[in-house]
Amino acid sequence: MIKENTKKQDLLWYVLIVVLLLVPFIPQVAANSFTQHVFILILLYASMSQAWNIIGGYCGQVSFGHSVFFGIGAYGAGMAVVKFGITPWPGIIIGSLLAMVVAVLISYPCFKLKGHYFAIATFAIVEIFNRLFMVWYWVNGALGLDYPMVKTGWTNFVWYRTKIPYYYGALILFTTIFSIVRFIERNRFGYYLRAVREDQETAEATGINSTFIKLSAMALSAFLASFCGAFFVQYNFRVDPPMVMSLQVSMVFVLVTILGGAGTLFGPLLGALILIPLQEYTRVLWGGLGRGTDLMLFGFLIVLIMVRQPKGIMGLINEYLNYRKTRKIISAQPEINS
Amino acid sequence: MNFIKKISIIILTTLLVFTLVNGAAFAQEKIIKIGTLFPLTGSCALAGSRCKAAVETAVEVINNSHPECDVPLAAQEGLLGGYKIVLVHADHQGKPDIAKAEAERLFDQEGVYTIVGCYNSACTNPASMVAERQEKIFMCGCSSSAALTERGLQYFFRMAPTDKTESIEFCDVIEWMNGTKGANLKTIGIIYENTEFGKHAADEGKLAAAEAGFEVVVDVPFSPGATNMNSEVQTLKAKNPDVVFGACLGGDYTLWVRTMKQMDWLPKMCLNYCTGYQDPVITEQLGDDANYFMGGTGYAPEFAELMPAVAAVEKIYQEKIGVPFDSDSIQEAVATFILAQAIEKAGTLNYDTVRDTLYANEWNSPLSMGGKVAFVSGGQNAKAMSMITQLQGGEYKRVFPTELSTDEVIFPMIPWSKR
Amino acid sequence: MTMFFQVAIDGLLTGMVYALVASGLSLIWGVMDVLNFAHGEFLMLGMYVSYWLGFLINFDPLISWIASGVFCFLLGILTYKLIIHHCLLGPPLSALLATFGLSMILKNFALNRFSPNYRLLTGTLLDGKRTLIGNIVLPMPQLITSIFALVVVFIIYYVIKRTRLGWAIQATAMDKEAAELMGINTERIFLLVFGLGGLCVGVAGGLLPSYLAVHPEVGGLFGLIAFVCVAMGGFGSIPGALLAALLIGLVEALGGFYIAPVFKYVVVFGLYLLVVMLKPKGLFGW
Repeated sequence: MIKENTKKQDLLWYVLIVVLLLVPFIPQVAANSFTQHVFILILLYASMSQAWNIIGGYCGQVSFGHSVFFGIGAYGAGMAVVKFGITPWPGIIIGSLLAMVVAVLISYPCFKLKGHYFAIATFAIVEIFNRLFMVWYWVNGALGLDYPMVKTGWTNFVWYRTKIPYYYGALILFTTIFSIVRFIERNRFGYYLRAVREDQETAEATGINSTFIKLSAMALSAFLASFCGAFFVQYNFRVDPPMVMSLQVSMVFVLVTILGGAGTLFGPLLGALILIPLQEYTRVLWGGLGRGTDLMLFGFLIVLIMVRQPKGIMGLINEYLNYRKTRKIISAQPEINS
Repeated sequence: MNFIKKISIIILTTLLVFTLVNGAAFAQEKIIKIGTLFPLTGSCALAGSRCKAAVETAVEVINNSHPECDVPLAAQEGLLGGYKIVLVHADHQGKPDIAKAEAERLFDQEGVYTIVGCYNSACTNPASMVAERQEKIFMCGCSSSAALTERGLQYFFRMAPTDKTESIEFCDVIEWMNGTKGANLKTIGIIYENTEFGKHAADEGKLAAAEAGFEVVVDVPFSPGATNMNSEVQTLKAKNPDVVFGACLGGDYTLWVRTMKQMDWLPKMCLNYCTGYQDPVITEQLGDDANYFMGGTGYAPEFAELMPAVAAVEKIYQEKIGVPFDSDSIQEAVATFILAQAIEKAGTLNYDTVRDTLYANEWNSPLSMGGKVAFVSGGQNAKAMSMITQLQGGEYKRVFPTELSTDEVIFPMIPWSKR
Repeated sequence: MTMFFQVAIDGLLTGMVYALVASGLSLIWGVMDVLNFAHGEFLMLGMYVSYWLGFLINFDPLISWIASGVFCFLLGILTYKLIIHHCLLGPPLSALLATFGLSMILKNFALNRFSPNYRLLTGTLLDGKRTLIGNIVLPMPQLITSIFALVVVFIIYYVIKRTRLGWAIQATAMDKEAAELMGINTERIFLLVFGLGGLCVGVAGGLLPSYLAVHPEVGGLFGLIAFVCVAMGGFGSIPGALLAALLIGLVEALGGFYIAPVFKYVVVFGLYLLVVMLKPKGLFGW
């Protein structure tokens, strides 16, 4: 039964990737740079949230601190291009490794804290990093780093006239991160993560080193998040602290995952699939009115989904599948009353 | 169950509608589409909505016959023999990444001819790069960061004076005070919000001060949206500079002034960048507390005799938003007018021709102080100027430069206890 | 030395306001384990109520705090009924997401209805009044607000500790099932707690417009600091929140003055980290 389910999921996964590969060939998308933009954002946000999902969903440690790692990755790429005038790749690698180190250093003491104390601690860390980067002269402080005009192509990971390479870049990011999580999910490590989430004491009693598990999950999560940060800055040609290293950015990681369904493989994708078009198209439609109508509607829909199904969109889908199953059973039964 | 169906149907249809609508071309009439891109939500929403209204006002005047307005293109209807301007509004929420995405959408999907925006310098930067890459014109009204016009862009034009010009003017005022009034002002303190805007202003302020030989004794950045400004003002008070340069926007400006009052401290002179100082609503609310502060001002209703043509346009603007123009919003109207004039003069919508026309001519602009606009390489309006005003009895009195001034500076600022 | 005391007093006065905002949050959080992200927006709406009463019919904030309190009490009850109640069935974070959505609605509702103008009440009874103790300036609006804050916090504390209702609230906080078995209507308690949380923040909001400009974004930082106060004090502990808030106000002012104003929130958040490293459950947490 489990085997069959995995097979089904595998099939779904491969089909999904093929479909995503073909998206730019849909004429509607190819002709419309804004639709491309929306698709890129969906993939990026899904990747970000999946990175968060490792520690926040599977391991149950709600971190509001991921914008720090996101920001370090972004600054890695930004510094390489703007300050050193080289390709962003070394910056991205160094940034990601640095994010990992920072993640371990700040998480180690914080993992002593439980539940909300941990969440607020990560909150505080974001604020501290934000203010420090705002006055850090070497990374241009509040002024931010603006990209100069550079040669386009994969070496610089910059394109001006087309978004299609960005789309494939995002798709690579997306596939990598999702594959890693898919691998982890069925691996011993994944079971450890969930064991720690369900009950840390019991997990430790069975011989799991929970601190080590949490730290490695955090390090992996930070590493992947910082890649997303680097992509974000390469896409926007600008980085400043409020853009990448603020609570608002941290909230994105959490929001998308919870909306989709935390601790599930497809949750982040579903969350991004709903949230990003909502956010972008409500802004397109009503943003110009300038009365916050779009954001009000956006907030309203978030509330609506949560009130209707607190388990997120994954919950809604499960509910639907169960409903179909029960209906099948009911309809299969002979009518008794008549 | 119905709920899921409903939600998915709603989402699917909206997605579908948008892909279709976005792709469809606008019905071809004699129209020129212009995009506006301002922060309509978020912490700069107030300034953004005023700027948007200013552009709308300008377009109203250009599109229709307004003989009562003594500005170019007011008497005739439309441009190029009947072309009307249609505005497409967008909101960047004060975020650079959204500004870039919206600029791309406006150009690619909405097919706008040009964009007017973006108020926040941090947002103007990426948005104007989008225009530059597509070789389309970007009109910037009031973003004040000097760096914007130092990038060597070809298709970027900015109307307002930069914070660099303002800083130099501030130092001129101090020198003038020292020279003619024996004010003996030596030390400067700078208080600014720690954002791209504030940091730029402060950096330029420090440069100008160093050049003029004044000592900057204290430099106080603060996080905007503060709950209190006690330690900021205490720091200022402890160092007690003769002059303070302020770059505090909106609510922070009110808080700053009020906190100084509570702490019973004032510098001898206080000069403000394009900030809360200029907002007529804030000035009115602060009442007497706002008096004797000074600042660079591009426009205030008290300038009527200096800029007589504004009144008629301002009436239209006031109907839209309920307040008179301020220095920022009026620059956005200027941007729209100058663009329209350039198109009219060039006689075509070709970007290169319009750009060359913009550079080649000196434009008549009754809404700008000095009445003229002319661009130098990089897109800066070389004729941009602002005056130093002082609030006296709730009115912006012109005090410097002397040839245009109407009132004497009240110096030093009257202490709180004597008001 | 005068400077030191002046800065410290300013910090404590700010801290009192934080305490009032935080005590409401602490109640909600301690009893229901719900992170209310819309707390800062409750404050903002409370301020608007007080502002409009002052602006339209000349009510002084000293009176209209009652109206703000009642308004936010009702707002809290409504929020619970319409949103939180449904989210409690799901995973713990869904309430967070829902309140985040709510905060977006409220913030933009204010933007939509009241425009983004900065609004300040002028000519209130306390406007610009000050008292002096030695050389130390005590601004009256802040002083009165602080006294109010202290009184309200003490009343809430008294209610929790000394009344039957308070015992029921405590019982619900400790063990919901057991409380139900004892015949406590926990649903009603939750409703009431959310209302009380709103009341606290509403009173704070009602008093603030006498010295702070109102605009749709005003609640953000207050909400954030309230979170830190509550966590630092220990969840559900009102004296803890009070102490933490005073400490934060003090550290913010002193750090801002003696280190650099731009670092004042770095110091505040750093202090929180320090405290929870030493006492992982906060100052008064159990």
